[in-house]
Amino acid sequence: MNKPPQEEKSTGHIYDGIEELDHPVPKWFQAMFFATVLFGIAYFLYYSLGEGESIDQEYHRIIHAERLAQFERVAKTGGPKVPSGEEFQAFLKDAEKTKLGAVTYQAKCISCHGSQGQGGIGPNLTDEYWLHGGSMSQIYGTIANGVADKGMPPWALMVTHEEVIALTVYVKSLAGTHPPNAKAPQGEKVSN
Amino acid sequence: MSDSNKSFSYDDDIVKKFLIATLLWGAVALLLGVFVASQLANWKLNLGLPWTTFGRLRPLHTNAAIFAFAGNGVFAAIYYSSQRLLKTRMWSDRLSRIHFWGWQAVIVSAALTLPLGITVGKEYAELEWPIAWTINALWVIFGVNYFKTLQVRRERHIYVAVWFYIATIVTVAVLHVLNTIQIPVSFWKSYPVYSGVQDALVQWWYGHNAVAFVLTTPFLGLMYYFLPKAAEKPVYSYRLSIIHFWSLVFIYIWAGPHHLLYTALPEWAQTLGMVFSVMLLAPSWGGMINGLLTLRGAWDRVRQDPVLKFFVAGLTFYGMATFEGPLLSIKSVSALGHYTDWIIGHVHGGALGWNGFMIFGMTYWLVPRLWKSNLYSRKMANVHFWFGFLGTVLYMVSMWVAGITQGLMWRAIDANGRLVYPDFVETVMRIVPLYWVRALGGALYLLGFVLLLVNVYKTVKRAPKSEKSEVQNAVTLARVPLASLGHTPHRILEGLPGAFSVLTLAAILVGTFFEIAPTFFSAEFAPAVPNLKPYTGLQLHGRDIYVREGCYNCHSQMIRPLIGETKRYGEYSRAEESIYDRPFQWGSKRTGPDLARVGGKYPDLWHYRHMADPREVVPGSLMPSYPWLLKDKTDFGIISRKLAVMKSLGVPYTDDDVRTAEGEARRDAKEIADKLVAEGASTSHQLEEREIVALIAYLQRLGSDFRKGLIK
Ligand code: HEC
Ligand code: HEC
Repeated sequence: MNKPPQEEKSTGHIYDGIEELDHPVPKWFQAMFFATVLFGIAYFLYYSLGEGESIDQEYHRIIHAERLAQFERVAKTGGPKVPSGEEFQAFLKDAEKTKLGAVTYQAKCISCHGSQGQGGIGPNLTDEYWLHGGSMSQIYGTIANGVADKGMPPWALMVTHEEVIALTVYVKSLAGTHPPNAKAPQGEKVSN
Repeated sequence: MSDSNKSFSYDDDIVKKFLIATLLWGAVALLLGVFVASQLANWKLNLGLPWTTFGRLRPLHTNAAIFAFAGNGVFAAIYYSSQRLLKTRMWSDRLSRIHFWGWQAVIVSAALTLPLGITVGKEYAELEWPIAWTINALWVIFGVNYFKTLQVRRERHIYVAVWFYIATIVTVAVLHVLNTIQIPVSFWKSYPVYSGVQDALVQWWYGHNAVAFVLTTPFLGLMYYFLPKAAEKPVYSYRLSIIHFWSLVFIYIWAGPHHLLYTALPEWAQTLGMVFSVMLLAPSWGGMINGLLTLRGAWDRVRQDPVLKFFVAGLTFYGMATFEGPLLSIKSVSALGHYTDWIIGHVHGGALGWNGFMIFGMTYWLVPRLWKSNLYSRKMANVHFWFGFLGTVLYMVSMWVAGITQGLMWRAIDANGRLVYPDFVETVMRIVPLYWVRALGGALYLLGFVLLLVNVYKTVKRAPKSEKSEVQNAVTLARVPLASLGHTPHRILEGLPGAFSVLTLAAILVGTFFEIAPTFFSAEFAPAVPNLKPYTGLQLHGRDIYVREGCYNCHSQMIRPLIGETKRYGEYSRAEESIYDRPFQWGSKRTGPDLARVGGKYPDLWHYRHMADPREVVPGSLMPSYPWLLKDKTDFGIISRKLAVMKSLGVPYTDDDVRTAEGEARRDAKEIADKLVAEGASTSHQLEEREIVALIAYLQRLGSDFRKGLIK
């Protein structure tokens, strides 16, 4: 602050009392400008005309690696095992399973099938009529893979394997509960 | 001319008019901002009325902020400073008045039409053709008046502020005209001539440069005049002015595609947008440092003087926003930030921190001078500053956190390759508290603004009644030979505003040409697909309902080739899928999920219930309810005309299609309605006549061509 005031070079331009000084452009500013321009040119050349990986290539590389990783995981663990008919029957008595199924059902399914399985946007799950089969493994398949184009989502992509099994068990346990306001039957009558 | 010494006066009345309009519309824009921000925090504030829903009010807020508040603000700055910098009254008082009243009429018509759902459906270009073309005409009137004023100036050279004003006038004309080429269907409905990828590129070339040439260049001009005036200091560096002016004007125009990274836009165009955005850092900062360095030796005054305080903070926010912009343009950063609230935070750093503060600083300086009074309360102005500052910071920080949080949640994938948050609504509910913080930030900013209004009112009220304008004297310019205009080529150019303007135009046309021209010649932008059917009449009409309700303000229709995204929504979007989209509806913000492949995802009945009340099927949703869609009747009569206009634009409808469009649409509607009733829709009678059916027809079409394998 004690330095003597420096003589400042003016351009001599004055507009409505505003004077323009003639300071040089700061060095760091020039450096920044040149650096970004060089980066820009190099980047464009590399990615648009040179070797640079395109967005599409990058995406497919990542997807490929991901599929491979999943494949290896399945190979190692044997992958999600669909329970057999007897195993499913045993699960029906497993309170743990029904509870997980009920909780998951309340979180994911009631918007379409109603809070008690009575149906709504989707079909009634408590009656004896099924569009895609009423056996445990058929129900498992419908829940896991969904029904494309009919608006039943493929849940295997969104919940765990455990939960799909639990949902199957829970849905099966709804059979014959006769909730109020049940939706009219859809599909074939199945007697098991 | 012989009379070399003529006396004249400045037209300050027009400045006062624009300034008052700035403050009035500023209040409207901010109020609307706080209101729509609160709607996102609590859906009930949509009030269940068509004209108060978010999708319709958000465009009104952005248009009010950009064109009414900032627009009138820069006009006030331009009319005040240009007259003084050019030592002349504006060329025509009448044209100035036409400009003023015309502009206010445009704003009023925007305020009436947007809530009614009359919209083009392209961001910041929502106003329908009669209004858009009025804007074009008014801009020409403004331009003529300005260039004539340049011609009759009494100052030999033009100052850097005027350079920026020229760039604004020239470029906005080019941008707005090219982006508003639309074919009317009726008085309040039109389709753009561009479609799909081309429409997207033209729109964001426009949209980004609206930021550049409405919210940046005129504000830099404002800064170059009012900051040295208020600080009573010389401008730091003339050479820096030259460099950053030309580089800014030349580079900005290329940067638009950074809004379209990872989209179906050809990648070379995306890369251009990215690299030019990075190069934009230095040119932008040039303005900031020239302004801040001008204040050397005046920092003690900054502490007391609210005018300088607003300017310093404004420039600092400008510096932050123009650092963040290039950062967000880097592809991998965009992958995280795009579609999130981070972008909203970025924009408001600029809008509240830079545009708002520069206008406030100017207002506090200008009002006492225009009305020949003293500022009523400096203390109040200082309090305004702190409210504004705190409000802006709260806004930005909350939106950064919200944006990055949600961006990370969207892409989170567990070890089994499943999305960790498959329910979109879960990622929304997580950030709702931050929506409240944002609304609070906006409210604080608004509160500060109210203090400004009070201060201005009191200042004006105690002004002396007599309003004699001061008489000015200046020597009329005599013609001089070119060489005597200056020692450097640029100095000579400053003495030739006509040539200066032409060069500016050339600078912005280079980038424009390289980015827009290929869209007309290259098949990359509008790939032909042999068997792809255009929308049916009913779907097209449903699409227009989608546009009318402003669904694009919350929903994108552009799935990017990113793993987190394709797992959530399905295969990434292809250019082919948009070829019939007029306007394109890729969107820019995902408050709700992407809809590009929503067709077939849910049964019709799901959509029916969801539109009536989203919370009935998705608890926790903050999407507005649209009960009127279940009541209002579809205007089947207009569908033929819509097809005819589309056909004239090259969409492959046959004459037969056009002729039978209405009947076909009715038949399609009946089919959907019957199915809905069969599935148990709680029907109003004549369901097939209701708009909801058309909307469902459109939603179920989305992505279905891809699913059917029509597009690879
Ligand atoms: C978006 C609405 C929706 C949701 C959410 C939904 N479903 Fe469905 N679901 C449907 C529809 C629609 C069908 C009928 C598909 C058809 O018509 O083929 C269906 C069918 C089924 C079926 C087969 C019924 C039959 O008759 O064969 C089962 C089982 C089922 N869903 C279970 C579930 C479970 C468990 C959940 C929750 C994890 C669930 N659904 C969530 C819409 C839904
Ligand atoms: C305020 C923002 C907002 C607006 C405006 C809005 N939505 Fe939504 N939308 C959401 C949110 C949030 C969700 C996610 C929660 C839900 O499903 O309700 C959503 C979900 C959806 C879904 C379900 C998507 C899926 O894959 O699950 C559809 C379909 C939809 N909206 C259609 C529309 C339509 C059509 C409009 C215009 C009439 C519209 N939305 C307007 C916020 C909005």
